[in-house]
Amino acid sequence: MRRRLRILAAAAALAAGSAWGQAGEGRALFIDPGKGNCIACHQVPAGAGPAVRADVGPRLDAARLKGWDRARLRDLLRDPTRANPDTVMPPYGRHRLLDDREIERLIDFLHALP
Amino acid sequence: MRFPDRRAALSLLLAFSLAPAFAAGPEEVRASILAQSRERHPALSPQDLAAGAAAFDAGRRAQAELNRPAPGAAEAVEAGRKIWTRKFPNGRSLAGCFPNGGRRIAAAYPQYDPRVKRLVTLETAINQCLTTHGQPLMDAGDPATMGTVLAYLRSLADGRKVAVRATSAPARERFEEGRRLYFTRMGQQNYACASCHANHSGQYFGDTAIPSPVGAAVQWPHLRDGRPVTLQMRVRECLDRMGAAPFPAGSDELAHLEFFLAYLSNGLTIRANAWRPPS
Ligand code: HEC
Ligand code: HEC
Repeated sequence: MRRRLRILAAAAALAAGSAWGQAGEGRALFIDPGKGNCIACHQVPAGAGPAVRADVGPRLDAARLKGWDRARLRDLLRDPTRANPDTVMPPYGRHRLLDDREIERLIDFLHALP
Repeated sequence: MRFPDRRAALSLLLAFSLAPAFAAGPEEVRASILAQSRERHPALSPQDLAAGAAAFDAGRRAQAELNRPAPGAAEAVEAGRKIWTRKFPNGRSLAGCFPNGGRRIAAAYPQYDPRVKRLVTLETAINQCLTTHGQPLMDAGDPATMGTVLAYLRSLADGRKVAVRATSAPARERFEEGRRLYFTRMGQQNYACASCHANHSGQYFGDTAIPSPVGAAVQWPHLRDGRPVTLQMRVRECLDRMGAAPFPAGSDELAHLEFFLAYLSNGLTIRANAWRPPS
């Protein structure tokens, strides 16, 4: 699975440019198993990312993310255990899986989701 | 994304665990995990759950059906039998170290051995025998030697029910240590085993359904790409994915985790050498 996702990540990074702008980098981080690996748990709408069966976390789309402004998403991505101590979602900021800039790019991607 | 050494990984062990701290004994712990599992998967029995991801995934189940017996299983069992019966220079053999040549014993491992004051897995028992007879030890992480011996030894317990005991005080302590490890967040990703296996069993992580902790000690070794994968080897892969430096093969930590999982499988029928897909 990892190998397949890595290839998808590379393809996504290449395709990122025009259609997704800033969010393209976020999309690559979303898919990369060595970075966010968000795609292991979250589905996104067709076209926004590869189709997966993942359902450990909720499907992420514009409707689901209504009300999630930048500050709220930033808090979540830095450390989701603050809101839910039992969550399985990794504390990307606190454990330095992603740096501040990468977290901002992921927020761009999440806000660009249809 | 890996910790350079185990100390660094351990320093990230968080103080709290995912389960409320309780002074419950092994039976209470087992009952509560079985109850959680029944609630999550009312249609699946503990024996069904022993199939791993296939318990939740019809496609995987069909593949497993086609791969019964698992390719490579007969060869692994035969290779293990050869090592098991091979004579040491002193005329003894591994088979001679165990009652009935090792038939049916696997169901009772891991077990606490009061003489050495240690939790003994099949791997440790085998290496104890080799030490006694002045033979080089086998690497618990090596599929070609330890893996095939366990494929053979576990095949001799096929059809038996897992019967692991945690009644004495030191055995209960070892069980508790395994339970604690299972519920403790470890490594850079901050997962505990329980974050995925207990709280999200049956849900898909990537393209794979997450197996339940119930029944996890029933089908091993698994045959993957024709090679035997022991429970300890599999757990080390999950630790690696957690971003934690895996406990060494043959370590007490892996023995404790295995003891905990085996206890949860008590009463289930052993089906050794089951197929798993290539990773
Ligand atoms: C191992 C599983 C896992 C991974 C990996 C993961 N998440 Fe999550 N995520 C969850 C779960 C489960 C929730 C539900 C909330 C909770 O557990 O507290 C969630 C919630 C969320 C939410 C809030 C949505 C809502 O409506 O509740 C967002 C946004 C989100 N995740 C984004 C991400 C991003 C971006 C990444 C990667 C950088 C990521 N997740 C990685 C499991 C995961
Ligand atoms: C991020 C999620 C995750 C974490 C954390 C995790 N695992 Fe796993 N584990 C999996 C998945 C997914 C599989 C199934 C792999 C497959 O069959 O392809 C698996 C498989 C297993 C299996 C084999 C089950 C079977 O019958 O096939 C065992 C045993 C196991 N894990 C134990 C553990 C232990 C012990 C820990 C903690 C040290 C742990 N896992 C942590 C996701 C996880």
